[in-house]
Amino acid sequence: MRPLRLLWWSLPLLGLAELGGHVYFSRRAPSLAQWQQLRPAVEQLRGAGELVVVAPSWAEPLARHALGDAAFPLEQLGRADVTPFARAIEISLLGQRAPELEGWRPVVEEQHGKFWLRVLENPQPARLSYDFLRAFGPHSARVTSDGRPCAWTTTGRATAGGLHGPMASPTQRFQCGGGDAEYVGLTLLDDQDYRPRYCLWAHPPRQGQLVIEFPEATLGPLLRGYGGLSWFLMRDGAGTPVELEVRVDGRSLGRWEHRDEQGWRGFEFATGVPAGTRATVEFRVSSADPAQRQFCFQADSR
Amino acid sequence: MTRRQAWLTDLSVAALLLTAYVALLLATAPTLGYARDEGFYFQAARSYEAWFKLLVDRPLEALEQATIDRYWSANREHPPLMKSLFALSHWLLFEKWRLLPDAGTAMRLPGMVMGGLWLATTYAWGAKAIGRLPAVIAAVSLGAMPATFYHSHLDCFDVPVATMWLATTWAYARSLDAGGWRWAVATGLLYGLFLATKHNAWIFPLAVLAHVVLTRGRAVWSGWRRGRASLPAALLAMAVLGPLVLYGSWPWLWHDTGQRLVGWAAFHLKHDYYNMEFLGRTYWKPPMPLGYAWVMTAATVPTVTLALSVVGLSGAVRRLVTPYWRRWRRQAEAVRWDQPQRRSTELLWLLCILASYGPWLSPGTPIFGGTKHWLTAYPFLCLFAAQGFAAVCAGLTRGLEGATWAARGRRAGVKLAAAAVLVAPVVMTAHSHPWGLSAYVPLVGGAPGAATLGLNRGFWGYQTGALAPFINEWAPKNASVYVHDTALQSWEQLRADGRVRADLRGTLSIVGSSVALYHHEAHMARVEQQIWVVYGSVSPTHLGVYDGVPVAWLYLRPAAAPAAAPP
Repeated sequence: MRPLRLLWWSLPLLGLAELGGHVYFSRRAPSLAQWQQLRPAVEQLRGAGELVVVAPSWAEPLARHALGDAAFPLEQLGRADVTPFARAIEISLLGQRAPELEGWRPVVEEQHGKFWLRVLENPQPARLSYDFLRAFGPHSARVTSDGRPCAWTTTGRATAGGLHGPMASPTQRFQCGGGDAEYVGLTLLDDQDYRPRYCLWAHPPRQGQLVIEFPEATLGPLLRGYGGLSWFLMRDGAGTPVELEVRVDGRSLGRWEHRDEQGWRGFEFATGVPAGTRATVEFRVSSADPAQRQFCFQADSR
Repeated sequence: MTRRQAWLTDLSVAALLLTAYVALLLATAPTLGYARDEGFYFQAARSYEAWFKLLVDRPLEALEQATIDRYWSANREHPPLMKSLFALSHWLLFEKWRLLPDAGTAMRLPGMVMGGLWLATTYAWGAKAIGRLPAVIAAVSLGAMPATFYHSHLDCFDVPVATMWLATTWAYARSLDAGGWRWAVATGLLYGLFLATKHNAWIFPLAVLAHVVLTRGRAVWSGWRRGRASLPAALLAMAVLGPLVLYGSWPWLWHDTGQRLVGWAAFHLKHDYYNMEFLGRTYWKPPMPLGYAWVMTAATVPTVTLALSVVGLSGAVRRLVTPYWRRWRRQAEAVRWDQPQRRSTELLWLLCILASYGPWLSPGTPIFGGTKHWLTAYPFLCLFAAQGFAAVCAGLTRGLEGATWAARGRRAGVKLAAAAVLVAPVVMTAHSHPWGLSAYVPLVGGAPGAATLGLNRGFWGYQTGALAPFINEWAPKNASVYVHDTALQSWEQLRADGRVRADLRGTLSIVGSSVALYHHEAHMARVEQQIWVVYGSVSPTHLGVYDGVPVAWLYLRPAAAPAAAPP
C-alpha cells in the first residue's frame, strides 16, 4: 500500500522534472554567438557556388546572419530543387537532417560544438545545358508584349507590396509598359509552403502574349521548370488560369496551364533536339483574363 | 481564527497577490513592445479621452449624436469599458498627475490591474472553496503561465474579459449560496461590465443556464408548473442589469441602438479568417483543426499545472457522476450529491471551462489570436489544479502517518510539494519575458521543439519592443523603419514613450525604408522575401532570439544596395 501512496510524490516530482526539462531545452539550441563562431568552419568546407542548407529550416535566418550574403545567393535560397547541385554543406543542429538532401552521400562530417557540418555529394547531379534565369539579361534575352518590344532598364521603379501586395519588383528588368506589373525581371515568389522561389516575373499582357526569347540557348533533351503565382495572394483559386507555351526555333514543344490553387509546380517538355543544339527558345505567357496574374517561372534545359 | 480574522487574512492575501502582480507587470512592461492591437486601442482610447474632456467642459455638446459618433466610432467593434479605463488612466495618471512614467504604461495600467484582480479573485474563490494554500497555488499558477503573464501587460481586453468572466461566475455562485438579492444584483452589474468588456460575455449565459438546469432543473420545472418562477435571482439580474450597464457605459449605443448592436454582433459572427500555423501547416480558411485549442493548451500551459488540474478535475467528475451511477445501478433511489454546494461549484467551474473551449469544437471558428481566445478557462483550470494539489497533500500526509516526526514532516512535505509544483511555472514564465507568445513548455521541446513541430512563433508584431535597443543602436539618423506587423500606432507610442528614437519614422513601405523589421510567422515569409529583393541582402543585421529560435529580426539597407540583379 505504501508504494502506492508514494505515487502522490509523482506530481511534485513532475514539477521538478519540468524545471529540468526547461533548463535543458532552453540551452539546447546554439546561441547567436555560437552561430557566429561557425563561420570559419563553413567557409573552409564550402567550395565556390556550393549550396548551404540548414536543418532544421527554421534556423536558417541565424545562418544567414552569421555567414552573410555570400553563403546564400538569392538564386540558391530560392532554388526550385536541389537536382543541379553537385555538393552541399548541411549545417545540422538538434539532430535534424535536411529532407531535400536525403540520399546524398556524406564526404565530410565534422562536429563543431552544437553543430554538425556535413559535406554531401549528390549521387546524380543534373547537368544543365542552359539555365534561363542565370542567362537572363539584356544581352541574352528579348522580350515583347503583344508584339511590342520591351526595353531593358536598370532604373525600373522598385515596388514591394508587403503582406497583401505583389512580390517585390527588381529595378533591372525589361519594362513593357507604364504599369508596375508590366515587366519581366528576376524576383522571388512565395510557394505553397511559403518558401521563396527565384523566378522570372512574367505577368501576361492585357492583350496577346508576353514573349520571352532566348536566341542562343544551348539545349539538352529536356526543358523543364516550375511556375506559379504567389500562394498567399492567390491560394483562393479564384483567378483565371495562366498558359505557358514553350517554342524551340518556332516549333511548339507544348502548352502548360497553371491554375492558382496548384501552387508552385513543375513542367517538362522533350526538346526533340540533340544535346548541345543551339536554338532560340521562346516562353509565351498569356491568360484569358490577365488581371492580377502575377505569374512567375523558372526553367532550364538539361 | 474567527470568521472576521479569516476574512481579513484572505483579503490581505488577495490584496498582496494583486499588488505584487501589478508591480511585477509594471516592472517588466518597459521591455515588452506594444502589440499590433494595442495600437488600435491606444488610438480609440485617445478619442474617448477627448470625449470625456468635452463631457466635463461642455456636457450638452458632448451628448449630441454627431459628437458621440465622432469620438465613439473609433474601434466600435469592441465595447467600451477597458478603452474608457485606458483613456481615464492616461488622462489622470499620466497627463494630469504624472504618476506614471509614460503614456503607454498609463494606458496599459488598467489591463494590468485586471490581471492582478484575476489572480486575487482566483485566490479568494479557491480559499473559500478549497483552502488557503491550494488557493495560493491556483493564483500563482494562473499568473505563472507565459501566455497569461504576457497578456496581463497589455492594453487589450483578453485578460480583462477573463477577469470579468471569473468575477461574474463567482458572484453568481455566491448568490446561489447566500440567497437574497445582494449577490444577485452584484452578478447582474458584473455581467453588464463583462458585456462592456468583450463579446466573450455572449457565451457566458450558456454556462450559467446549463448550471441551473443541471443543479436545480427539476425544482425550476416543478415551480414553473405550479406557476412560480423559481429561477435564481442572479439570472434575472443578469438579464435586466446586464444590458442596462452595457447601454449606459457605451455612448455609441445611445443612438441608432438596434442597428449598432447588429453591427457589433455581425463583426464578430462574420470575423475574417486569419492565418495560423499549427503543426507545420498554415490554416487560413475552414475547416480549422479541432485539436487546435487542446494541443496549444498542452504546449503552452506548464505541464505540472495541467497535471494538477487533471487530478482535481477527475476527482470532481467522479464526485459529480457517482450519484447518477448509483441511481443507474439502482443502489440509490434518487440522485443526491453529498456536499451539494461544493459539487455545484465544481460543476460551475467545469461548465465555464467547457464554455470557454466550446467555440473551438466548431471547425468554422476562425483562429485569429492563438491561445488568448480561451484564457477565460484558465482560472477554472487553476482552481481544479488547487483541488489536485489538495489531493496531493492529502495523499502525501497519509504517506507520512507512520513516521515519528509526522507533524513536522507533514508540514515540510506540503511546503516542499507547493514549491515543487510552482517552481517550474514561475521560472519558465520569468524566462519567457519578453517573448511570451513564443514560449512553449518542455513537453513539446520548448521553443526549439515547437519551431520544429511547426507551431506559431508569435503574432501581433509585439517583438519590436525587444528589438528596440538594437534599432536605436543601428538605425541611421532620421531613418524610415518598415514596421511590418507592428501597427503604426504602436510604433508611434514606442516613439512617444522614448523607447525608440524620436528621429525614426515608422513606415509601411519596404521600398521607402532603410531599416526593415520582420516578425516571423510562416505566411509572413513573403514579406522577408520582398526585403531581400529590395535591400539586395539576405543577412539580418540583428535577430531577436528566444532559446536559440529566431523570432523577429531586422535588416539594415546596405548603402546604395542594388535590387535583385541578374547574377
